[in-house]
Formats: sequence, structure tokens, C-alpha cells
Amino acid sequence: MRDPVAIIGVGQTTYRRRHVERNTAELVRDAVEAALTDAQIDSDAIGVIVGGVAPDALAGINHIDMASISRPGVPYFRVNTGGATGSSAFLAAMSWIASGRCDVALVVAVERMGYATTAQAVFNSIFDPIYEKDISISTISMIAMRATMLMQEYGYTTDHWASLAAKNSLASQNNDTLENPRLFDKAQVLASPILSWPIRTLEACPMSEGVCVAVLASEKFVGARRAAWVLGTGAFSDAYAMGDRIRRPEGSLVELLTLRRSAEKAYREAGIANPSEVIDCVEIQAPFASAEAMAYSALGLCEAKNGPAFLDRLLEGRTRALVNPSGGPQAANPVSATALIRIVECALQVRGLAGKRQLDGVRHAVATGQGGATQFSTAVVLGSNRP
Amino acid sequence: MQTPDPISKPITIAGHWNFEYRYFAGAVASRFFNEIKINRRIMGTRVPSTGRVLVPARSFCDASYERTGEWVEVGPEGTLDIFTIVAAKFPGLPDPPFVMGYVTLDGADTAVLNYVRGVDLTDIEAAGNKLMAKPRVRAIFSDVREGRITDFHFELIAPI
Amino acid sequence: MGISPNSAYIQGVAISVTWADAERSLPDLIFETVTGALSNAGAKMAEMDSVVLAAHDLVDGRSLSSMVTAPAAGAYMRDEIRLADDGLVAASLAAARIEAGESEFSVVAACGRASEGDFQRTSQTAFDPFMIQPLGLDEFSLSALRLSAWLQRHPGLEDSRRRAGQARARRAGSNGRALKSGGHAPNLWHPLRQEEAPCMADIVVAAILGPRPARVRIAGTGHSTDSSNVGDRDLLRMPSLAQAAERALSSASMQSRDIDLFELEGATLFDEAYALEVLGLAAPGQGFATYADGTGINPSGGGASGWCYPAMGLVRLAECYLQLTGQAQGVQVPGRLRAALATGFSPVGAQSHGAMVLVTA
Repeated sequence: MRDPVAIIGVGQTTYRRRHVERNTAELVRDAVEAALTDAQIDSDAIGVIVGGVAPDALAGINHIDMASISRPGVPYFRVNTGGATGSSAFLAAMSWIASGRCDVALVVAVERMGYATTAQAVFNSIFDPIYEKDISISTISMIAMRATMLMQEYGYTTDHWASLAAKNSLASQNNDTLENPRLFDKAQVLASPILSWPIRTLEACPMSEGVCVAVLASEKFVGARRAAWVLGTGAFSDAYAMGDRIRRPEGSLVELLTLRRSAEKAYREAGIANPSEVIDCVEIQAPFASAEAMAYSALGLCEAKNGPAFLDRLLEGRTRALVNPSGGPQAANPVSATALIRIVECALQVRGLAGKRQLDGVRHAVATGQGGATQFSTAVVLGSNRP
Repeated sequence: MQTPDPISKPITIAGHWNFEYRYFAGAVASRFFNEIKINRRIMGTRVPSTGRVLVPARSFCDASYERTGEWVEVGPEGTLDIFTIVAAKFPGLPDPPFVMGYVTLDGADTAVLNYVRGVDLTDIEAAGNKLMAKPRVRAIFSDVREGRITDFHFELIAPI
Repeated sequence: MGISPNSAYIQGVAISVTWADAERSLPDLIFETVTGALSNAGAKMAEMDSVVLAAHDLVDGRSLSSMVTAPAAGAYMRDEIRLADDGLVAASLAAARIEAGESEFSVVAACGRASEGDFQRTSQTAFDPFMIQPLGLDEFSLSALRLSAWLQRHPGLEDSRRRAGQARARRAGSNGRALKSGGHAPNLWHPLRQEEAPCMADIVVAAILGPRPARVRIAGTGHSTDSSNVGDRDLLRMPSLAQAAERALSSASMQSRDIDLFELEGATLFDEAYALEVLGLAAPGQGFATYADGTGINPSGGGASGWCYPAMGLVRLAECYLQLTGQAQGVQVPGRLRAALATGFSPVGAQSHGAMVLVTA
């Protein structure tokens, strides 16, 4: 078993449609300086920088990370696992520290999609060019198809998606990393135009840019710093084709086998036998309501068949764990950074530094990452106490 | 309103992001497409250890990490397992509305993605609710076939 | 780091170099190469618990290429991660996971299929869109600038330059893993010559990493990065290459004289040869001569055997493994080989480097 690792500092720019007056390197510098200040360290302490940048095409610059994230003399490499990029980069940085190569790692995830005028066409080109890309599938239609399966299998309704979107929009009002968070209610979601049935415009995440940074440290480096301890981690990948998973006996497309296994491993490492009684805060990387609902049972918060009932209780504020107090990716979804933001939000919660969105007495939090066509999953369990 | 200082005028430069590729389908996908193009039939490949029939045909199985074996004809009828109706225009993608979905063809263990045509989409909400019943569909082959997945599409066998 | 009980070992490798083989899709090539590496290691996929990939979306022409390629490397229900970086970095991360006790057996795979796209064209888009892109620099241009600076300092070394090129071509000709037909050379800027280009090819390479017992131990790794701004770089000092190699050697508690075999990655013949000067293995100005006459220096034939980012650092590493285990066939270096050093680089213009020291166990 590896030695403990903790998050000792975080930094975020604001997340907004476009950062007009800052170039990418300036945005990175803002977030990194905030993270180093939070961690009470100098940049000399950094032993490795792990960059997270998903599709190059969204920024329109190939390897935008090299000019904006990397620093002369410091080991640097880039992770790209789509929507899970931020959490995958986090896990790679953990491995680097846990192997004894360095004591402090900087994880920097950058999204610069603000000027992409054809984001859904880019997202179409993530699909297999031989068998699937020609059917003009994109991330929105991909998620919409899973939403229809959730409705068929478990009885979720379009009301559920609208109510959850409204809940996240309300929560996002407390999140000071968001510029102009959208506020709407269920009726407004249902009245908004259909994007890709059953998904409506207000349910979809907005396009967002921004930079998220986490500073990780080895146990001996942490000292007296206020830390979020990494208690457990998991990462699993699935088959490419969603069509292979629809009738799969081992676990269907909407059972989210990869997240289930990731969470099981992370809980096991954290010594958590019953997550629904231990986890105080959950940050789910779900850019749409249906994707969030799909994660509940995979995270062990409820049985899959009881998902709609769990969601009803969640909407009424009657669950133990609170989900997406930040408003989640439905409030801002900078693709390359979004999975790291989930971890950073959990770190702020267990360190008691989440400001207006702080929940009471958070001791255990879990963050998910999700990339590809729900193909790459990660789970990270953070705790306030040293393991 | 202040007169902008020309020296501070922000510069934006236009960029294009278009690269040419040629994707090699490989022997197995090539046969899959040629069977559709020449013989108007949809074929899958069987996974030796599990017996699962993969459609569209694959040269290896992701799950069991082994080469696939015999070719199996499937369909042309099947079930529309999951679907969506794209109702908004996205730059670079076709004009809405249209239906796409994953269909498990009779004899297959996996579903293939394609367009579902001929559905009345005048009321998208109503059409969506009706398609939730996992209707039966049939593969319809195009008159002109070029060896691509768009050489066929699905249509409902009975109107909904 | 010494010989820790958690050290990572290489258990087997496979290298596939082809050109526009229409019978095989990119996933087919990866599946076959990873299967070949498992076979070389005498291992089964069922024993593997993790996968680390190196692949680049613009090379693969798939905007999140690991969606399609990761399962071909065995990612299904395994802990899999994809780096948009050089293959040697992927091996380094897999080794870190093994050293950390996070993984026992790991599949490392890297691919670059030059025949499906246009690497040179896409590499241009990695430069600053305001200052550099309008000038048309690509991944090979910096090698031309570096060579012109070198020629100013070391005029009149035409003979060694020619002999180095001949040696590289001869070694590629003897390397059974090299591309035998097809491929193409990127257009190079003066003063580079076309025969000094790498041979663009479809490269897939895989390595199986695991615990002891095995024949080759990963004794040290090192990484470093240069300034991104081309104008800020000291093109002849190449600090990121020097630091990466230095760090790899020092973490292995070794010096360059302890190394019997080098596989040094470079975008062109000059960069391969000049790496010898940067690493202190050749006196200033003697890079070409040492490349031509030395033994155990890029015996694979380097970029002449086939080249495509981001597979190459892992190819260099795999060639070292084959040498250390006596499996290098036509280019096997005679005598007892105990230690090897491989390097790899990542864009933009070889801005970052990785190095790894392998020793026989």
C-alpha cells in the first residue's frame, strides 16, 4: 500500500464563457499563484507538474499546455482522458509522489474552449471514424441516449432531469468561482427548447473556460498544513462502444460499471464499508442531470432500481450526503478541468474552506471523473483526517 | 462613450482547424462494409470464449481480449434499444430534427448506431415518448452504397 | 533509488513498424503489438492490472483517440490512463505506479500512424499562433536552426556528417524491425538534408512492466522541460535533454561511463548525433563522428528505421531492452551489455525530454 498523499493547496480562476482579457499562460499563473499561496510553498518545492488538457481542437492550439503550464527545468507531462482528464492527471501526480520521485506535485488543468465555434462537431470527432462518427453522434446526443435508457429501465422522468438541473442552478448561486451563474427553476427548464430529446437547453452545461490547480504533497511534507487527505482512489476503463454495453450481463451502459468499480476500490482503500452512511459530500462530474443520476447507485448511495426515489429525497434535501454543493458541472463544465474541479471542491469542503458553499462538518467526500462515452471513470475519496 | 485608443485595440486572428486523414478500416471492418455494399447483409463476428456476436463486426473483443472467430449474419430486423431525437442545430452537424439510436439486430449481442428514419417528428415530445417502447425496426439499404456505415439506416416496422 | 524491492522491471516488448497497411486498422495494430509484447514477456492479459498509453489526438485523427485505442491495449476493466506525451513518459508513469505499489503488472503502449494523417502539418499548429505559426515552423524546424548554429561553431566536418548518415542507414538496413518499404521523409529546412530526415512510418510499440523476477530493471528515470518560447531557448545547450539524462543517471546512482548502450531519440540525424555532445559522450563538434564510429550508439538505426511521434521514446526503450536481453537480432551489439540509456522527447520542438536507465537484473 502506498504512503499517504494529501492536497495542501488549491487554486482556481473563475469559470466563464470566455476569458477575454487574459491569455492562457496568465490564467494559469493566476491559479497557480493562488494554489501555492494556499499551500504555503514556493515554486521551488515543485517536483513535477502534470498538465491536464483534453481535445486540442477545443482550444484550436495543439499542445497549448507547453506554452502555458510547463516550466523550464521541471519534469512535466500531459494527461488527456477527455472529461476525466483532470482527475486522471491528479492520479498520475499521486503515483509520482507515492513512488518517492518527489514530495510535491502541481496538477494544472486548463480549458480554453471559449472560441471554439463548433464544439459539438469537435465532440463528434471523438467517436470511431470507421463505424460511428458518420452518424453525427456528439456528446449531447450520446448523453441523451443514455437518458432514454435510464427512463426506460428505472422510471426516471423528464421532470426529474428538470428538477435536478434547477437544484444545481440554485446551489451554483453560492459558488464564487462562477461568474454570473444561471438561475432557473424546473418550469423554466421544461419550457426551454429541446436540444436532443429528452434533454432541454437549460439542462445542458454551459461552455466554460478556466484553470484549476491542485498541490499534492507527500505525508512528510504536509506538516501542519491544512490538508485534504487522499483516503482512496480508483480508475477503470470500459469497452469503447456504447452498443456493447446496452445488453451486457455484467453491467449495462447505465449501471456505470467503471465508476462502480472505481468507487468500490476507493472506498475499500479508505476503509469505508457503507458509503451512504459515511460520505458527507459528493461532487459528481456530470454535465447533464441524467448523467448525475446515473452515478448515484454506482457510488453506492442507493440501489440502481431505487435511483428515482433517491433523487426525490435528494431534491427534498433528505439525504445524508449532499451532492454537488458547488452546482456541479451543470453550472460550469470546462472540459479539461472539470474532473479536477470536483476533487478541488471536495478538498475545500473537507478543509472547511468552501466559503458560502461550505457544508457542515464534512469529514469524508468523494469526487468522480468521467471521460469518453462513460468509458473512463475515476473516484477519489478525500478525508479531513490523516489516514 | 470613450474614443478607443488605436494602440490598445485588441487583435484577434482567425484560425482554421481542418486536417486531412485517411482511416484504414482494416480487414474486418472492410468485410463488414463490403457485405453491406455487395450483398446487402449485416454481419457480425463471434467471440470464441463467450459466444457473443459483435455487431458491427470487430476483429477482437474488448472485454475478453481475444480475436473474434466466425462471421454470423444478423438482422435485418431488430430492436431500437435506446435513441435520441436531435432537435437543435449544431454548427458542423446535420440539420435537425433527426433520430439516431442503438439497435440490437436479431442474432446479435451488441447494438449498432445508426439513423432511424421515417418517424413522424412534427411533435418531438410525443415522438420521443412513443419511441420509449423499444419498437422493432428494419435495416433499409441505400440504393447507392459506398462502403460506409451510412449505406443503411433503420425504419420502424410498424408505425407508432 | 538503488534496488528497491518495489523496483519496476521490463518483462517483454514488441515493436511494429509498417506503412499504410490497409488490412489493419489502428486498433488492429495496437491489439497485435500488445499481444506480441505479452507473448515476448510470457504473460497473459489476465495478469495485467493497469494500462498506460501514449497517443496524440492530432496524430491519430481522433479527437479523443484513447476511446478507440485504449481497449486495443487491454484497458477493459483495468486502471488505464492516456498521456498526450511521449511513450517513454508512459513507461515512466507505469514504473512509478509499480514502485508505489499501486500496480503489479502494467501494459505500456504508444502509437503514431503517420500514414493516416500529416504529422508535419499538424505539428505546425503547436506553435504560438501569433508569433511563430505564420512562419510555418514544425517539429523538425528547430533541428535545422540547431544545426545551423552548430555549423557556425564547427565548420568543415562534412566527412563525419556524411559517415554518420551512412552508418544510420546501414544500421536501419540491418534492423529487422525497421520499415522495409513505403514511408516518406518530411520536408526539411536548410541546412538539414533530406537523407537526414526520419522515415515517417506507422509505429506501434508496447512493453510489459512488472515486478521481479525479470531480466531488465528500470534503474532510473529523469525528466525535464525547456522554455516554450523558441527565442528563449539555448538550442545548442538543450537543457531539458541534459537534465533528463543527468537525473536518470543520478537516480540510478550511475554515470554515463557505466552505460554500455545508448538509444538517443532525435527528430533528425543531427539531433540524434548532437545528443551525444549534450550528454557529454562526444566532444564538442564530434557528435557525428562518434555517432558514425561508436559502438552501442543508436544501433537500431534511430529515425531511419521508422519514426512517428509520440511512439519513439518507447521504441528507444524497447530497443534497449532487446539489446540487453540479446534479442536485437541483426543489430545486436556484441559483448556483455549491462546497462542502457534511452531518451525520448515531446513537442513542441522537443521542449521536454525523458530518459530512462535500464540494467540487467
